[in-house]
Amino acid sequence: MIRFENVRKKYGDTVILDNLSFNIEPGEFVVLIGPSGCGKTTTLKSINRLITPDKGKIFVDGQDISEVNPVKLRRKIGYVIQQIGLFPNMTIEQNIGIVPKRLKYPKSKIKEITQELMEMVGMSYEEYAHKYPSELSGGQQQRIGVLRALAASPPIVLMDEPFGALDPMTRSILQDEIVKLHKKLKKTIVFVTHDMNEALDLADKIIFMEKGEIVQMATPDEMLAHPASALIRDFMRKSSSSADSSDLTAADFMKTKFFSVYKKRSIRECTDLMARQHIDSLLIKNDDDTFAGIVTIRDIKKHGKSSGSIGDITPYDNITSSISENAKESFDKLYNTGDNYVVVLEDNKTIAGIISKTSMATAMADTLWGDMQ
Amino acid sequence: MDISIILEHLYLVFLSVLFSVVVGLPLGVLAYLNKPLRKIVLWVVEILQTIPALALLGLIMVIFGAGKVTVITGLVLYSLLPIVHNTFIGLENVDSGIKEAGKGMGLTKFDRLISVEIPLAFPMIFTGIRIATVTTIGVAVFATSVGGGGLGSIINQGIRTQNMKLILFGTLALMIMAIFFDFLMIWINNRLVKRTSN
Repeated sequence: MIRFENVRKKYGDTVILDNLSFNIEPGEFVVLIGPSGCGKTTTLKSINRLITPDKGKIFVDGQDISEVNPVKLRRKIGYVIQQIGLFPNMTIEQNIGIVPKRLKYPKSKIKEITQELMEMVGMSYEEYAHKYPSELSGGQQQRIGVLRALAASPPIVLMDEPFGALDPMTRSILQDEIVKLHKKLKKTIVFVTHDMNEALDLADKIIFMEKGEIVQMATPDEMLAHPASALIRDFMRKSSSSADSSDLTAADFMKTKFFSVYKKRSIRECTDLMARQHIDSLLIKNDDDTFAGIVTIRDIKKHGKSSGSIGDITPYDNITSSISENAKESFDKLYNTGDNYVVVLEDNKTIAGIISKTSMATAMADTLWGDMQ
Repeated sequence: MDISIILEHLYLVFLSVLFSVVVGLPLGVLAYLNKPLRKIVLWVVEILQTIPALALLGLIMVIFGAGKVTVITGLVLYSLLPIVHNTFIGLENVDSGIKEAGKGMGLTKFDRLISVEIPLAFPMIFTGIRIATVTTIGVAVFATSVGGGGLGSIINQGIRTQNMKLILFGTLALMIMAIFFDFLMIWINNRLVKRTSN
């Protein structure tokens, strides 16, 4: 579908693309990845002639693109960019219809396409088609950006870090959607990113570039199993656990569901609560919400009376962590004291959560086998 | 003192601004599209602005003789700067992502200009036209010196006959006109760009 033959590009003395040759099959989802300045975006933009190489040939569908009128070529290749680039002076429907209109599709056909595409990404035609881009959220705008690229059903779609500017939540939703669209529409997609997670999630094939050359072109599985260079391994490690384990704090692992009572609550109420919730201890708070200690069922038994308030019992001075404390330290405390949990306190000494042995186990499983959620 | 003199003044301003737009808009677009010509175009319109208005009209009178043609030619040349300049700046400042998307999807240069870039640059261009209009209302006072009429003749007459009322009438009429058109055009602009701006 797309073939590069010894493609070279230089800006001044800097070599951007160095004798690049590769082949992309029809229907493949190919992700170009590499450190900044590796030439991935230049490669992408050479496909629709936004950039002209100095040497070498690029073929799209068997045709040397230097012999094709660039405007005609681009209308057959969808293009999605990070800045989204919707035309703010046009409605959503007009934006989606921009290429079909120039290919002289009848109006009714353009409306049909718009409805169909919007339905595919779960956006109501009635609600959004006549709005302007500024009235949509960033995620919705980029959905329309993708649909606009698909509108004239081009066999190839180029995407230049399309989700790079979106928040992580929206990004992962759009990633799922693009995978679905690809499965359904069988387009050849060339996708540039610097996020290895994204590459591994989306790609049929990953092309890893460095200094204008291809270091490795492989399926995600192959690349995970046999990274061709230290840099690739580095890229994959950085992304496999999104945060370095030494950066994790107590806040990342604590459970925020816990039971706490004020000192003035009666002992009877507290025992009732413990019985109902099947717990054997309660966190005790002072009147100003600061942490006072823990009272266990054993402490209550020892106290002997069920009258009076829970504040009459000297609370057990449980070990505590601060919310910003390194997670490993909190785990050490938990492990060494033999308590059932460590109480995590906010900076103002109020209770933020607890870390139990279960949260510790979950955390360890996450680092070993990836995200457990 | 009658309304016809105000209408004459407005007529001069209207025609001048109209021709200024007709000439200035393409020049601004040219400056945007063609880098080598850009410097020359912007430099020429700036130089024109530095010539004192009265002197410019005098120079043109040598060619066209006294009359309305001279006045309008002079006013057009004089109000080119804000229009050319704002057209160029407006087009230049259209978001690069929008330009790239348009190009990458296969819109021709002309198509991008007409469907996207000029509509988006419109508020800036319109501001240029507004500034040109307000300035021209003032500068058109000199029209009377080259036989063009307008409110300048009232003020001139007032000065010659030391008629304070006449001078005040002319000046006040000019000020009200300028303020009125300024506000009117701001209002029009706001109405036009309400929804699409982001």
